[in-house]
Amino acid sequence: MISSSLTRRAVLRGVGVSVALPLLESFGPAQAKSETATPPLRLAFVYAPNGKHMADWSPTTEGIKFDLSPTLRPLEKVRESITVLSGLCLRNATAGSDGPGDHARAMATFLTGVRPKKTSGADIRNGVSIDQVIAATIGRTTRLPSLEVGCEGGKLAGTCDNGYSCAYQTNLSWWAESTPMPKEVDPRLVFERLFGDRVRGNSDSANTKRDRDRRSILDFVAEDAQDLSGKLGKADQRKLDEYLTGVREIERRIQQAQPTVAVGKENLVRPTGVPENYQDHARLLADLVALAFQADLTRVATFVLGNDGSNRSYREVGVSEGHHDVSHHAGDSAKHDKLRAINQFHVAQFAHLVERLKSIPESDGTLLDHCLIVYGSGIRDGDRHDHDDLPILLAGGGNGTVKSGRHLRHPAGTPLCNLYLSLLGRVGIRADRFGDSTGRLAGLDG
Amino acid sequence: MSHRLTLILVGTAVLAAGGAVFVLLRQPDRADPVAVGLPFDPDIDVDDDNSAENEPPPAFVPHAASFLTRYCIECHAGERPKGGLALDYSDETAATADRLAWGKVSEAVRSGRMPPPGRPQPEPAESEAFLAWVDRNAVGPQNPGRVTLRRLNRSEYNNTIRDLVGVTLMPADDFPADDTGDGFDTNANVLSVSPILIEKYLTAAEAVVDAAVKDSALWQRLISTPAEDFVPFVLRGSPPLRADAVKGQRFEQADAAGLARAALIDRAYYAIQAFADRAFRRPVTHVEIGRLMRFVEATLANGDGVDAGIKLALTAVLVSPHFLFRVELDTPPGSDIEHRLNDYELATRLSYFLWSSMPDEELFRLAASGKLNDTRTLVGQVRRMLRDPKSRALAENFAGQWLQTRALAEATRDPFRFPPFDDDLRRAMGQETELFFDHVVREDRSVLDLLTGEYTFVNDRLARHYGIHGVEGGHFRRVSLSGTGRAGILTHASVLTVTSGPTRTSPVRRGKWVLENILGIPSSPPPSGVDGLKDDGTGKATTLREQLNRHRSQAECASCHTRMDPIGFGLENFDAVGAWRDRDGDVVDASGTLPSGRAFRGPKELLAILVERPTDFVRCLTQKLLTYALGRSLVAADRSTVERITRHAAHNDYKFSSLVIALVRSDPFQKRRIAVAGSSP
Repeated sequence: MISSSLTRRAVLRGVGVSVALPLLESFGPAQAKSETATPPLRLAFVYAPNGKHMADWSPTTEGIKFDLSPTLRPLEKVRESITVLSGLCLRNATAGSDGPGDHARAMATFLTGVRPKKTSGADIRNGVSIDQVIAATIGRTTRLPSLEVGCEGGKLAGTCDNGYSCAYQTNLSWWAESTPMPKEVDPRLVFERLFGDRVRGNSDSANTKRDRDRRSILDFVAEDAQDLSGKLGKADQRKLDEYLTGVREIERRIQQAQPTVAVGKENLVRPTGVPENYQDHARLLADLVALAFQADLTRVATFVLGNDGSNRSYREVGVSEGHHDVSHHAGDSAKHDKLRAINQFHVAQFAHLVERLKSIPESDGTLLDHCLIVYGSGIRDGDRHDHDDLPILLAGGGNGTVKSGRHLRHPAGTPLCNLYLSLLGRVGIRADRFGDSTGRLAGLDG
Repeated sequence: MSHRLTLILVGTAVLAAGGAVFVLLRQPDRADPVAVGLPFDPDIDVDDDNSAENEPPPAFVPHAASFLTRYCIECHAGERPKGGLALDYSDETAATADRLAWGKVSEAVRSGRMPPPGRPQPEPAESEAFLAWVDRNAVGPQNPGRVTLRRLNRSEYNNTIRDLVGVTLMPADDFPADDTGDGFDTNANVLSVSPILIEKYLTAAEAVVDAAVKDSALWQRLISTPAEDFVPFVLRGSPPLRADAVKGQRFEQADAAGLARAALIDRAYYAIQAFADRAFRRPVTHVEIGRLMRFVEATLANGDGVDAGIKLALTAVLVSPHFLFRVELDTPPGSDIEHRLNDYELATRLSYFLWSSMPDEELFRLAASGKLNDTRTLVGQVRRMLRDPKSRALAENFAGQWLQTRALAEATRDPFRFPPFDDDLRRAMGQETELFFDHVVREDRSVLDLLTGEYTFVNDRLARHYGIHGVEGGHFRRVSLSGTGRAGILTHASVLTVTSGPTRTSPVRRGKWVLENILGIPSSPPPSGVDGLKDDGTGKATTLREQLNRHRSQAECASCHTRMDPIGFGLENFDAVGAWRDRDGDVVDASGTLPSGRAFRGPKELLAILVERPTDFVRCLTQKLLTYALGRSLVAADRSTVERITRHAAHNDYKFSSLVIALVRSDPFQKRRIAVAGSSP
């Protein structure tokens, strides 16, 4: 298996970008471990903004014979690997006593299940997101504990949703309650994070020397930070703690033995930047996520197709109006058509990721068999801003723990966090609660 | 001199005779008095008019009480007061205690929103007396606030690297985007530090130092001993008890090789010290230099040589929290609840406010000699800094976020409807606003020019877009706008574009933008479940107007939309990329009536009404500028500061410098509250 795949090279293609992939299996964990061992489980969370037009989203039938709705049609080829989850809700994204701001809350709550503190600047607070909870445990064995990518970065100017800091609306992943994990938008930078050392083509001795230098620098700054600590107020101390944790994380990464791989420089071509075309951009990021999983450089990823409330237009599918503007369809059928096109387009990018994972052989199956990929939006209907019966998909077999190819409808009011609680169990994290969970999600394994 | 000798022994524990000679050649520690900017006229520059503060505070009775009785409590009283706001206080104590209410009251009365139209309106003098009472008595105790430990944002990082090292790399372009709080990326609370940033900081520091090494002239400058050290010895903390820096190289090697080696180490010591001083924006302590010299010790021991050690030390400095964060320390426990920043901290606040970068040598020298907090010196420095090209950062970073023109980069337009909107035009739009704002800063114009100036800066591309003839070439030049229907930022294509959608204008968004960024009136969020405009994306202006009229006929929408929509309609002669149009299907109807009852036809008349009360605009600008400068959200206690700055500007023809000077002299800028255990920041 390994020897035959050593000759295989995958090539990603996009407009103006071509990433020739390295001899991947040689990065992988399979080499070091026995071939019979089950590959590790990888998890990713893909976010699509502004809800869905649900009439076109929800399959009309349940169970194994469910029909692919118009929006889900791009998943035709991987239908058997998909589980459609209906009926899940995000209670803490609702207005409650916080008033308007559903876009900010939808995105902030999606992976945390926690009600974000309404503030425009001072004292932002959210929960730790599910991907980071998982990364804190299973991320310790890989080069990067987690990978955060997205098609839209932070907001460049202006204020955000109705009194919520932009931090809530541009970050999906939260490492600590006041510290989001910003996402990388530029595929080149993602690539360099994943493969930087190898691409630079340094000799092993140069890398060893650099690692030694880095360790001495990090020792120095840690000492600097320790000196400073204790002279600070509470909020200052939190910032410094963020800093120190980051320093320790990089130290861990340096100390951890890297798989040494004989990869010729010619095998790694870095992307040149952000492709102009949205689809090229999204697919390149998806390919990099798949690549990171394949090479076992990380086991946890988040992928934001668009920040919630995004008003990007999608001329690729004939929509020149802004997505957010269109999502307030007010029952207009012309807008429904446009929404369907955008929704389908996002699902198609997700389908690309799933297909990609499925195309990569691993152990006795495919990489997708060892993945669980959640796809969804924190808003149901963009016009109504509601947060129940959310559009949620799960892809992958989860190392045999999920019986896919079904549409499961859960009782109204089932928290989305029940799904996350189920995921925690699958990566060996014992927990009784996550966010507003009320129990594990029933029926995933058939 | 004895201090200096001690320092040398601490630093290198070397030197013997040769070193001593070398030391003697160096300048003593004292800083030279530095010439400060140009002479200035204190009458204009320094508002010593504290008359408002020296007058007895206005009394609750009659000023506030009668105002409340006459204009407020008919609605705001009883079991179910309007807006949940009850103002029927029994006495002054009850009134003063209710601080939450006064923020709203002050804003509503000041903006003219209250009392509502159709109700008896107070005379200006009545309002003034009432507001004076509110500002003086009901804002809570004076408190300069406390800014959280704040890291450099991306532009600050790039600029600081430029000024500190002298390389042209822009490493922060590869950092994740900074979040914003209250509209600005200087907000300390949202500038978080995730592990990915530390990774980027480390890579960036290595790249910066590598680039410096490759530029041999630059590197020679960085590793040679600076001409003088003007930092007073005492500012470097107590020296460590034993020679901690480089050990074992002592006098026994007083031969030629030993001396040469000692000189090398000496050079490294002072080079690193000078670099770290500037990087940390304060005198680096003996302990810290000792720690940094360990890098040199290590590379000497392993044969890599002194320069390799300097390289590592410089890299480490660039990853240190003292470089990445703007550290302001509390004074020792037991001191007052608030304290004045030291001169280095003040210099740092100044330079990041006006330059988005580190202080320069002149500021450092003044800080070292303890002169910066002298008012005349400070004012002189502000003027010098505003004249410096680096103050362009205000246009890029402050104005770019205040006016939201940074968002131009992500604006999309339907190419069939707006074929002119390409990257050239997009860039030209951004340039215009930046140059215009920068002109007001540099020429120290009245900030009212921003609203009414009948001039702007265009290149050929933008001139064509505006229908201005006779402009050739891609460079920008100043042109008159008289007769074009345009004046000030509200008619800039940049602003008109970022407040529009991909396919059409949005009068609501434009109106909201003007209320929030020009008049300083926060719009309340739409009722729950309603979000933005529900209109037909392809609608013509008349259709839009009809739809919005429907908005305004619903009570829950009307209170805001009667304020936003007319302003937006007044700008309807400008399409979604800011080009003039007389028709949008039908003839554009750019008329409207403001809640005050004032009617207008077209943008010119609207602008004229907006500047009738210049203090509304100047107060709004002051709030934005203060938020940006402090890096924290404004609170009730800041209101009197905002008023003082606005007043000072009014006395000085609203010159841009007068806002900045009053701001820089204010307590929130110069002081800091001590953290109290258990309380939030």
